[in-house]
Amino acid sequence: MKMVELLKMTTAAQRKKAMKEAGFNTFLLKSEDVYIDLLTDSGTAAMSDRQWAGMMLGDESYAGSKNYYHLEEVVKDVYGYKYLIPTHQGRGAENILSKILIKKGDIIPGNMYFTTTRLHQELAGGKFEDIIIDEAHDPENEFDFKGNVDLDKLDRLVKKHGAAKIPYVSIATSVNMAGGQPISMKNLRELRAYCKKHKIRIIHDMTRVAENAYFIQQKEKGYEKKPVKEIVKEINSYTDGATMSAKKDALVNIGGFLALNEWDVFEEARNMVVVYEGLHTYGGLAGRDMEAMAIGIGESVCDDHIRARVGQVIYLGNKMMEYGIPIVKPIGGHGIFVDAKKFLSHIPQGNYPAQTLAAEIYLDSGVRTMERGVVSAGRKANGENYYPKLELVRFTIPRRVYTQAHMDVIAESAARVYEQRNKIKGLKMVYEPKYLRFFQAKFEKL
Amino acid sequence: MHTIIEPFRIKSVEPIYFNTKEERKLILEKAFNNLFHIHSKDVLIDLLTDSGTSAMSSNQWAGIMQGDESYAGSPSFFRFEKTIQDITGMPLVIPTHQGRAAEKILFSVLGGNGKYFVSNTLFDTTRANIEFTGAEGIDLLCAEGKLPSVPAPFKGNMDTEAFKNFIAEKGAANIPLCIITVTNNSGGGQPVSMQNIKAVKKICKENNIPLFIDACRFAENSWFIKQREEGYADKSVKEIAHELFSNADGCTMSAKKDAFANIGGFLAMHDEDLALQCRNLLIITEGFPTYGGLAGRDLEAIAIGLEEVLDENYLQYRIRSIEYLTNKLIDAGVPVMQPAGGHAVYIDAKEMLPHILPAQYPAQALAGALYTEGGIRSVEIGSLMFGKYDEGKSLIPAQMELVRLAIPRRVYTQSHIDYVAEVIIEVYKNKEQIKGLQIIEEAPTLRHFTAKLKPIN
Repeated sequence: MKMVELLKMTTAAQRKKAMKEAGFNTFLLKSEDVYIDLLTDSGTAAMSDRQWAGMMLGDESYAGSKNYYHLEEVVKDVYGYKYLIPTHQGRGAENILSKILIKKGDIIPGNMYFTTTRLHQELAGGKFEDIIIDEAHDPENEFDFKGNVDLDKLDRLVKKHGAAKIPYVSIATSVNMAGGQPISMKNLRELRAYCKKHKIRIIHDMTRVAENAYFIQQKEKGYEKKPVKEIVKEINSYTDGATMSAKKDALVNIGGFLALNEWDVFEEARNMVVVYEGLHTYGGLAGRDMEAMAIGIGESVCDDHIRARVGQVIYLGNKMMEYGIPIVKPIGGHGIFVDAKKFLSHIPQGNYPAQTLAAEIYLDSGVRTMERGVVSAGRKANGENYYPKLELVRFTIPRRVYTQAHMDVIAESAARVYEQRNKIKGLKMVYEPKYLRFFQAKFEKL
Repeated sequence: MHTIIEPFRIKSVEPIYFNTKEERKLILEKAFNNLFHIHSKDVLIDLLTDSGTSAMSSNQWAGIMQGDESYAGSPSFFRFEKTIQDITGMPLVIPTHQGRAAEKILFSVLGGNGKYFVSNTLFDTTRANIEFTGAEGIDLLCAEGKLPSVPAPFKGNMDTEAFKNFIAEKGAANIPLCIITVTNNSGGGQPVSMQNIKAVKKICKENNIPLFIDACRFAENSWFIKQREEGYADKSVKEIAHELFSNADGCTMSAKKDAFANIGGFLAMHDEDLALQCRNLLIITEGFPTYGGLAGRDLEAIAIGLEEVLDENYLQYRIRSIEYLTNKLIDAGVPVMQPAGGHAVYIDAKEMLPHILPAQYPAQALAGALYTEGGIRSVEIGSLMFGKYDEGKSLIPAQMELVRLAIPRRVYTQSHIDYVAEVIIEVYKNKEQIKGLQIIEEAPTLRHFTAKLKPIN
C-alpha cells in the first residue's frame, strides 16, 4: 500500500438506526456508516501510483487532448477495437449505442440481462431475450462456463423473428447477474460463426473481460500458457464493438467508452456523444481520467494482477463454503453471490429474501452488500414483477482495496447471520420508483 | 492605482510546445480549418474555452485526494450538496457529469413538441438539447445586447416587453420554462442586472412559468452587479449570488466554469416532484443520485471551487484581466465587444472583415488566421455555430459574427496575454489577406464541432 483511507467503526445501535433511516436499502446508507463496502466493484478500485501520476498529466483541453489520443492507442493495442468514443461511464455508452442500433420492435438476445443495459434497450424500443444456457440459472451447478450462450435458444429467436429484427446479440463477459460467470472461447467462436451466417452483429459488454480471460486461461483447453492480454484480444476479435464501464476491470473511479469497428456506426455515435456526454475527444471526462483509464487498462491485463484479484475472491468464497453458507458455484470473478432463497428458505420471494439478507449482514458487522434478486429485476411492461430464478446477495470485492484480514471479517459476519437465520423476518416495499427501483426503493420490516 | 496582481501563485506548471507558422499552416489545413480538430499539443495558447480548463488550487487537489469513491452515500456528495444549498438556497441538489447532462435531463422532463423555452440567450448545447426534445428555444435579448460596439452596463438583460408579447402570442401554457443565462455567454459574457432578473421573475410569476438560472458564471455576474448596479456596492458577492438565486425556481450549472473544476455539473431546485422526475432520468444516463456520473473526488473539487470563486480578490483580478486584453485591442483599433465581458474577449469579425460575407464564415476565417499567426486557438460564435438553412438551403446567418477568446481561469499569466494581444494586432494589420470559407462536410446538429471547411479562392 502506498496510501490508505481511514475507516470508521460503528456500534450495533448506530447501525440499527442507519439501516432504518435507509429504508432497509443498502444503497441508501451513507458510506461513512459503512465499515467494509462491498456494494459494488464499480468505480471503487484503488488506483496505482502510476495512475495517480497520470492524473497529474491530465491535459484538460476541450478539443484534441493528448490523453484522448493515448487512450485511443491503448484501446486499439490492448482491446483491438478500431474506433473509440469516450463516455463518462458505461451507461453513457449503452445509451448512445441503443439509440443508434435499436429500432422499435427489435429483439436483442443476450447472455442474461443486466439492469442498466436492458433498460436502455427497452427505452430504445427493443426487447431483451435471454439466451444464456440453463445451467446459469442453477446456483449449484458447477459447470465452468455458465456465461455461455445456448445457440439453440438463439436459433429459435432468429427463426421466430427473422435476423433482420435482431440488430445485435449482446454478449457480456463475466456475466454479472449470473454471479460473475465466464463465457468460453469455444462458445464465442461458435456464436461468431452462427452470427456471421445470419449477418448479426455481436456487441460486447466488456466491463470484466480480463476476469473472463483469466478463467479461460485457468479452465479452457489450449489456453493454459497464453497470457491474459492475448486471450482478451482474441475474445474481442469475435465481436463487432463494445460498451465498457472502465470502473470495473480498468481500475478507475470514473469513465467508460464505446468502441466500434464499423465506421458508419462510429460516425453516428460521434455526432450523438456531443449532445449527451461531451465533445468526442473527451466524452464528458476530465483529461486526467482518460489518462488514468489508459494506464489502468494496461495494468488490468497483467497476469499477476488478475491472479491476485480473482484469487482474493476465491479465498472469500471458499471460506464461506467452509461455514456452510450457500453460494453460487463455481465462484465468479468479481464477487461472492450468496443464494438468499436457500439461506432464508422460510422467506417467500415476495418478501424479498435477498434484500432482507443484505440488511441483516449490515446490521451484524457494517459490511455493505447488494441485493440481486426480485427487487433488481423490476417489473415487466405490463406491470407484473419479474420473479428471477436467482435471488442473490452480492458481496462485490473492490479491486486492490481490501486485505485478506478484511475478507476474514466478512466471512465471519456472514457465518454469524447464518447461525441466526431462522429468526430473520422478511420485508415489504413501501416506496417504489419508476425506473431501476433497486437503487432507491424503501422497505419496512414485516 | 497599483497593478492588480493575482491572488495566488503557481504550484504546478504544464509545458507548452512551440511550433512555427509554416507548421501551423499545415496543421490547420489538415484540420479542415476547424480548430476543434487540432490536437491540443499543437496549440500554444488555448483560448478555445474557459470550460473545464481551469487550474485547480492546491486545496482542490487535496480534495481530489480525499474523494470518497463509494457508489452510494459518499461524504463527498454530502459536502457538495451542502455547499450548493448554502449558495443557492435550493434544497434539492442533483449532480451530473457536466452541465449539458443537467440540461438534457431538465428538458427531457419539461420539453416536447410545440413547447417554447424562453431565454435572454441560450448557449449552443443548451439550444441543441431543447431542440432535441422537439421544443423550440427563443432568445429575447435586450436591444443593446445586439450591438457589439455600444457599451452598456448590462447587455445580458432580457427584453421584458418582448417576453410579455411572446407570452401573449404563444400562451403561457406552452412555455414550460424561462432560462436566464448568467453571464450571457453567446452575447459576449455580458452580465444580467438584478433588476432585470426581478422583472423577469415577476412576469414568470404572473404567468406561472418557472424561472431557472443557467448559472455557469454566476460569480462573475454577481461581481458585475456589485460594480455596476445601484445599491449593491456594499453587499458581498456571496450575498448578491444568494439574492440572484432567490429569484429563481431552480438552476443548472456546468461546474467547469466558475467552480474551477475540470469536470462536473449539477441541477438544483425547490420543486420535489420535478426533482423526483429528474432523478429517475439521472439514474438511466448519468448515475446514482449521490454521484451522478462523477468520481467522489470531483464532487469535492467542485465544492471547494464554489467557495473559492466567491473570493472578491479573485473576482477583481479575473474581471480586470479580461478588461486588460480588451483595452489593449480597443487601443489598437480592433473591433471588439464592449464593454469587456466576464470570461472572454469577443472580436467582431463582421466589422473587422467586411470583405467576407456571413455565408463565408468570417469569424471562422479569423479564428484560423489567429491560429496560423500565433498558435492561438479561439472559437467561432457566429453563423457556423448558430446559422441555419432555410427551405431553399441557403444560409440564415446568425445575428453576430464573433470570435471568442475565452480565458481559462488561473492558467495564463500577463505575458501570455500580452503575446495574445500582439498576435491579434498583427492579424488585424493584415486583415485584407484573410479569405472566407465554405463547408465541405457537416453534421445535422452542433455542426461546428466536427464540420470540415476549405478556403474560397
